[in-house]
Amino acid sequence: MAYLELKNVSKQFGNVTAVRDFNLDIEKGSLVSFLGPSGCGKTTTLRMIAGFEQPDQGTITLDNIDITTIPPNKRDIGMVFQAYALFPNLSVRENVAFGLEMKKFPKNEINQRVSEVLEMVRLTTIANRFPHQLSGGQQQRIALARALAVQPRVLLLDEPLSALDAEVRVALRAEIRRIQSQLAITTVYVTHDQEEALSISDKVVVMNNGCIEQVGSPESIYRQPQTRFVATFIGTANQFSGKVSDDHSVQCEHAQLQVADMRQFSKGEDVVVLVRPESIQIQFEPTHEPNWNLLEGVIETVTFHGAVTRIGVNAHGQRIVADITYSSSTPISLGQHCWLAFRSESCQVMGLEK
Amino acid sequence: MNPSRKNKPSTWQYILIGVFLFYMFVPIVSTYIFSVATRWDRTILPEGYTLNYYTQAFKASYFISSLKNSFILSIATVLVGLIIIVPTVYWVHVRVPYTKPLLDVLMILPFGIPAVVLALALVQVYNFAPLARSPVLLIGAVVIYSMPFMYRPVSNAIQAIDVITLTEAGQSLGANTFQLLRRVIIPNILTGIWSGSLLVFATVFAEFTLTKLIVGARFKTFPMLLVEYTRINGNTAAAFSVISFTIAWLASLLILWVGSKGQASYQKAIGAR
Amino acid sequence: MASIKARNRNKLDLLGVVPFLLFCLAFEIVPIILLIRGSLIDKATKAFTIKHYLALGAPLYINSFWNSIKLSGLTALIGCILGTLIAYAIYRWPSTRVQHALVTLSDVTTNFAGAPLAFAFIVILGMNGVITQFLLRYFNLQLYPKFSIYSFSGLVLAYVYFQIPLMILLVIPAFEGLKKEWFESAQSLGASNFQYWWRIGLPLLMPSIIAGLTLLFANAFGAYATAYTLVESQLSLVTLQIGFMIAGEVRHDPGIGMAMSVVSLILMGLSIGIYQLSARRAKWLVKSSS
Repeated sequence: MAYLELKNVSKQFGNVTAVRDFNLDIEKGSLVSFLGPSGCGKTTTLRMIAGFEQPDQGTITLDNIDITTIPPNKRDIGMVFQAYALFPNLSVRENVAFGLEMKKFPKNEINQRVSEVLEMVRLTTIANRFPHQLSGGQQQRIALARALAVQPRVLLLDEPLSALDAEVRVALRAEIRRIQSQLAITTVYVTHDQEEALSISDKVVVMNNGCIEQVGSPESIYRQPQTRFVATFIGTANQFSGKVSDDHSVQCEHAQLQVADMRQFSKGEDVVVLVRPESIQIQFEPTHEPNWNLLEGVIETVTFHGAVTRIGVNAHGQRIVADITYSSSTPISLGQHCWLAFRSESCQVMGLEK
Repeated sequence: MNPSRKNKPSTWQYILIGVFLFYMFVPIVSTYIFSVATRWDRTILPEGYTLNYYTQAFKASYFISSLKNSFILSIATVLVGLIIIVPTVYWVHVRVPYTKPLLDVLMILPFGIPAVVLALALVQVYNFAPLARSPVLLIGAVVIYSMPFMYRPVSNAIQAIDVITLTEAGQSLGANTFQLLRRVIIPNILTGIWSGSLLVFATVFAEFTLTKLIVGARFKTFPMLLVEYTRINGNTAAAFSVISFTIAWLASLLILWVGSKGQASYQKAIGAR
Repeated sequence: MASIKARNRNKLDLLGVVPFLLFCLAFEIVPIILLIRGSLIDKATKAFTIKHYLALGAPLYINSFWNSIKLSGLTALIGCILGTLIAYAIYRWPSTRVQHALVTLSDVTTNFAGAPLAFAFIVILGMNGVITQFLLRYFNLQLYPKFSIYSFSGLVLAYVYFQIPLMILLVIPAFEGLKKEWFESAQSLGASNFQYWWRIGLPLLMPSIIAGLTLLFANAFGAYATAYTLVESQLSLVTLQIGFMIAGEVRHDPGIGMAMSVVSLILMGLSIGIYQLSARRAKWLVKSSS
């Protein structure tokens, strides 16, 4: 049995179904992200784990005990909020010590734990300051310290970095991951930022409209999206519609694509072929190699993204994007005629969704 | 946001709110009933009902004149208040914003001066004709006393509109200050002006202390008549009290209505949904 | 040339506030200053003296101050406690429409102070009052003569009537300023409802509660009409005493009235001062937590 289990959890607010039949096993010590757009139900699910919302149906089990009806202050769960995380009338030290005081720890033990945990987040010098004197990043680190001080069984984070500046975000998420794996604490992390989710998680749960779209490691989510939503929500994907013509090819409007990874699709079925931009090469001479697809087009846009350059190509009326590492030795200009090449293995096929 | 706002209020909430409503309503409702009760000192509900007390009340000497005086005092106070406060608030916000702290202090001052103290001070200082114990002195006192109630809605309204931009726009089209005030500023803060005026009107209509102590019987207002009758004839006093309460909460409802209308039109104007 | 023009323009602009300032000076500031001066001057000799203040040591005046402070303090305390509790009950009510209605009710009733309110209390708790009769008939409880509405306790009941709604209006915004994240954080850290209010909620509300307490005190201290209607000369209160002195000016030395007024102003000034400080801190607490 997994450490944290959600079985058939559903939640409705009035007429709106926020979470629909949610099933998930979370292994002890792992960091699982709930990733999805606003309104997909990720925060609601997190709050049900915390106990701030009650599921209409289903159960939540922690360490083999059903906690579905246990009030939030008895669940032994640490929580970090997106905003207003710290108590404004208490100093940093008093904030961090709060949970320990609730548990009636002796004073010297509290002091020791507070020092330990402040050291963990690398903020030992500001113990006597008050929240309004701290920067956003510092506040969130203290919030994290406060949640960890009581050594909870599960750590929940609700978009903890969304309110922070971009550079602080990147540094802080690495900190969070470092501390989490050092303590091996089971963690659920809600975010709408895919880069965040992909970079720190052991497992990613992609959600949409209250349902789970896909669960998997960051890599599998990215490379093997199983639904159209996941494919388009995570990264960018070029989409080609067509009909299955045989075991290895799909007939699209202007070309026949060779596809390596074919699941059980029957001949003639309508499908969509997805190809990631980084899998596409730009060529100026057509090279016909086995297992490679080739499309003709005209360069429409060239956008510099720093590490990569995104080339927008018009191939028979369809806009296709390719990410290449651009070196000035390769001449690319607008209006140029070119060929797009990508392996059959880079193609992901999925059926049309109802 | 309310933490854990459950679907149903709990018992203690019902008790507290119940006690609150009881306390607020019982004195008022009892007065209303008393004013139409023939006899009510032996039973739970009155033994009979009558409108006689009202006819008696309307026939009371000084009834009409006291109502008239109250109206005159209230309207005069509103007008004087509007004339001195509205342009000043505008001027401070647009031309001399550094005087705003002074304005704020002056608007808090009346709260710190009990009406009796103000009355004593004014009566002592202006003890010469023609001001001594005159209605003019009274109006001055009442305007001071009611200033904060006119100030706050007007000040809020002015701060809600971008008064500096409006002024500059008007000036660029050639308007002078009076024209600006009349045709640009005031129409846009009408809600604040109405709210303030109604608030001052209601407050002054019920004003007793300053009137009694500064002019006394020479200018009998409705509240003064009411106090007289509390010592003479309880039934008439009840009728007067009912009139007083009714005017008070009608004015409150009017103020609320004006306030909500103002909100709605402002939201429309700024394109909010 | 341009800078001189700018400075002149600034000076001229100040003229705009002059009418208003003149009005305040004429009807408020100068009279009060003269009042303070008058309290320190012997009317006959025109010399500086503190005898008016010394005269306040007479039992009548000491009683007045003591009664006024007792009355204001007691009704402020009762209004503060009950008002806060009721405000909390309103804050936790599930329906926003009911909340709005209750706050509106408070807005209306807090302005009911004065003679009509005093009379309403006579109607229910006078010798033949509705409640007096009700208690006698159904509970065999005789209020009179031990209790009288025309007394200190009667005044307390009447004052509390408008003190409670005032407190509600002052403290409800403070409740609204409490972020739910603080409550939920506290819960996740193991705090019970009581522990949250004790460690976080109440401390954060305290500035508003103190602001309310002091404002209620000032409100009651300066009140006149309600007391005049209910007790007139049966109970000595500061405002009533000053009122008598204005009315019967010829018989009393105005100096004492002025001295009483100055002491009242000091008390009121202190209260309003504390109120301002607390209210500002309350606003700061809300703003700083982001």
